[in-house]
Amino acid sequence: MSSEKEQRRTGIVAVVIAVLALALGLAACGGGSGINGGDTESEEVKLEGKPSGDVTISNWPLYIDKQTVPDFEKEAGVSVKYIEDVNANEEFFAKMQPLLKQGESGGRSLFVVTDWMVAKMKELGYLQKLDKSALPNVEKNLVSNLREPKYDPNREYSAPWQSGMTGIIVRKDLAPDVKSICDLFDPQYKGKVEMLNELRDTVPLVMKCLGIDPSEADEAEWLEAIDKIKGASESGQIRRFTGNDYGADLTSGNAVAVIGWSGDAVQLQADNPNIEWRMPTEGCILWSDNMVIPVGAPNPTAGEAFMNYVYDPKNQAQIEAYVNYVSPVENVKPILLEEEPEIAKNQLIFPSKSFTKNCTIQPSPSGEEEQNLNRAFNAVLNG
Amino acid sequence: MTAEASTGSRAWQWLRDHAVSIVGVLVVLYMLIPIAVIFFFSFNDPAGRYNFTWVGFTLDHWTNAFGIPELNEALITSLKLAVLATVISTAVGTLMALALVRHEFFGRRATNFLIVIPMATPEVVMGAALLSFFLILGTFSLGFQTLLIAHVMFCISFVVVVVRSRLIGFDRNLEEAAKDLGASPFETFRLVTLPLIMPGIFGAAMLAFALSIDDFVISNFNSGTTVTFPLYIFGAAQRGIPVEVNVIAMILFFFTVAAMGFATWQQRRAEKMASVRPDQESTLAVPAGASAAT
Amino acid sequence: MSRRIAPYLLLAPGAIWLLLFFVVPLYYMGELSLNSGVFGAYEFSWNWSNYSDALSLYDSQFVRSFLYAGLATMFALLLAYPLAYTIAFKAGRWRNVLLFAVVAPFFTTYLIRTLAWETILSDQSPVVSVLDFLGLAPEGHVLATAGAVIAGLTYNFLPFMVLPIYASLERIDVRLIEAGKDLYASATQTFLRVTLPLSAPGVVAGTLLTFIPASGDYVNAQFLGSASNQMIGNVIQSLYLKQSDYPAAAALSFVLMALILVAVLIYIRFAGTEALMGEEAAG
Repeated sequence: MSSEKEQRRTGIVAVVIAVLALALGLAACGGGSGINGGDTESEEVKLEGKPSGDVTISNWPLYIDKQTVPDFEKEAGVSVKYIEDVNANEEFFAKMQPLLKQGESGGRSLFVVTDWMVAKMKELGYLQKLDKSALPNVEKNLVSNLREPKYDPNREYSAPWQSGMTGIIVRKDLAPDVKSICDLFDPQYKGKVEMLNELRDTVPLVMKCLGIDPSEADEAEWLEAIDKIKGASESGQIRRFTGNDYGADLTSGNAVAVIGWSGDAVQLQADNPNIEWRMPTEGCILWSDNMVIPVGAPNPTAGEAFMNYVYDPKNQAQIEAYVNYVSPVENVKPILLEEEPEIAKNQLIFPSKSFTKNCTIQPSPSGEEEQNLNRAFNAVLNG
Repeated sequence: MTAEASTGSRAWQWLRDHAVSIVGVLVVLYMLIPIAVIFFFSFNDPAGRYNFTWVGFTLDHWTNAFGIPELNEALITSLKLAVLATVISTAVGTLMALALVRHEFFGRRATNFLIVIPMATPEVVMGAALLSFFLILGTFSLGFQTLLIAHVMFCISFVVVVVRSRLIGFDRNLEEAAKDLGASPFETFRLVTLPLIMPGIFGAAMLAFALSIDDFVISNFNSGTTVTFPLYIFGAAQRGIPVEVNVIAMILFFFTVAAMGFATWQQRRAEKMASVRPDQESTLAVPAGASAAT
Repeated sequence: MSRRIAPYLLLAPGAIWLLLFFVVPLYYMGELSLNSGVFGAYEFSWNWSNYSDALSLYDSQFVRSFLYAGLATMFALLLAYPLAYTIAFKAGRWRNVLLFAVVAPFFTTYLIRTLAWETILSDQSPVVSVLDFLGLAPEGHVLATAGAVIAGLTYNFLPFMVLPIYASLERIDVRLIEAGKDLYASATQTFLRVTLPLSAPGVVAGTLLTFIPASGDYVNAQFLGSASNQMIGNVIQSLYLKQSDYPAAAALSFVLMALILVAVLIYIRFAGTEALMGEEAAG
């Protein structure tokens, strides 16, 4: 058996070797740009003739019918990998951010995120400028009220996928009298109300209940609304804050009234005909989800081809019939009036101006205000 | 202790005698309740997206269990990951266990400590730390690579602990005997040691496999855009879990039960063939903690 | 071949892996925790305020986490011990079957098991009606309450409690227990003075293997709880994956680890270390 001293020496040698190996390894590997890293200048899409090859598209779940992708593949001659992994803007951003800052997109050539996330990504230089020569359908058919959003005045970086309204969804058999946001705070529904964990949907609606105009509100007024929500959560009035998952609770009856999205409600009715979306008396929040092409997109040509494809009213009608949100494409209603009149006449899918007269476009604070509000709101979400 | 003659108090006596067992069995049943629910609902035929209320019986989802491409991909990713992680961590962990149990060396205490700490760290912290590491380093792109690294990392500790406890109960006399009969150290290891500790290694491997396939938290932090089976379920939970998920969960369950049954049957055969002396039994029987799997 | 370097060679792959992918990341997380600034422009600045913020902003979540984890551990112990005892002493031929039953649910994945509880505890289910009838559901519903979260934690970590206790019990020489009986001790006395102390290492190991992961858990709280039941794990997850506030998240993680370490050290003081470190002699 070796002596203590010899053992010690061997031990130390071994450790030293290990540490050296580690250090060398890290040095060799290192030079990572770290969390802040890469300078990504705004790139422009460089079209490469006709679309071909493979393309990966990321979208929200249940946001497309089953036929569109195969039809597009046939018409364009590309092979599409369609993944539904955008469950929430922030989560998706957190996942993609380390890649995007290195100028990569994890293989995706196109993904779909909400207005405010487009604004954020554009500012960080994560999006490519579109080549409009490949998007004649978009130029022609994009509805007029979505042509010049504040965050992308010339629609150079994005094209809307679908629009939607955030309002209330109720079980009309269990909570027939809920008609406004303020009704959600009614104690008779204690423990059966849910709200979205999305700052820009929930808080503006509650501001409306308080009589504040969300598009003009200052930080103090946002915080006032957040405070009201906090009180309701602590008292047990609000059962939980949800993402897309309020549908399960509504269906099972665990919740009777929630803040939710228009298209969802139409889809949920298949599970339970008692589920109904209602325009709150105070009005709703309007938003759009948009297609964008990220930096590092392997096949932007095919991505743009897809954008153009879905802006053909015929193709859009097919999508619309399944998705049931609000279409950003003109001339779809007449097509559906003939094929599926029920859908064409649905106010949730083709809302009239009077239907949405009290609705506000989703406000999006930024900078330090955004940080403070996020902190305050997340404090409520996390108890 | 004389019991009274009436059947009433005899029943009561029986209950008292068996109280612990009864509670034990009840607890096992309690543990199986969710499995029963999952099994039950795997035969459901829901109208819409949600599988909460019983609608009707159907075998469709069983016959078409692999009908959802994303689910299959996620499952395959998880299986690949689990197999690789198991192989690597079991090999590495066994070597470590051998070193720790059989040799006195400088740094033994520290190594013990190093092994125990990961088991004592909450998964959320480990996942987060790894994420920070990968973010700052920037070399590994988040995905299968990083998942594999993470899975091997948290499996090693468990493998070491399991194999080590098996080695501790190991009778060195058998190795001595082999040496006396002229076997080289390597031969001794291969022909005597390894077969005898194999159940322990197998148990450790099963544990590693289970931990890897089941892992959600650490994977959630480090998967980037790769989707494993638990991550798929997490996403699906938002919008309605398809019945096929229940089916696959049950398939995994039954498969495991079968595998464990097979392993036990093998072990029983091995024991019989070794024709062990009664007081030697402890080295071969199911040892401490090593395994519910053997 | 020298016996001297043999152990180091055996150890090397594993030790390096652990050092590189466990210790080093913790170091990096430490570095991250001292950063400050806005997202996209974090920089190292010895910013200890992340730590003080962590403690002051999230103190209620910390307390809650340890409370829930503590209760879950206690319940798990109460449920696991009889089961382990049954398997070790009373099961006979059924021993392996019962062990399977304990371990197999593991293979249906953590999430699915937790989600199954969502179904079982849903407001309309018969289980909840019974509980309500028994007065155990003060808010009228079980989901989205602390009870559901604790029940979920208890359930999910039960195997971690059962297996070590079983391992310990199984090792006990039956003759010791018989000796107790021979000396006229009643069954209860024998248990309390012979079996229980001999199974202590298993109890200690099981308690730690349950309490530690439970304190950092977030899945149960996310699916079974409401906003008022969120645990510190939920906050860490939110900070990392939702708010991208890495410095705060890193600081919070360290604080959690430190607090757990303190709790564990206190506990070990009470219970003794041998069981933990496997100080049993080499070979």
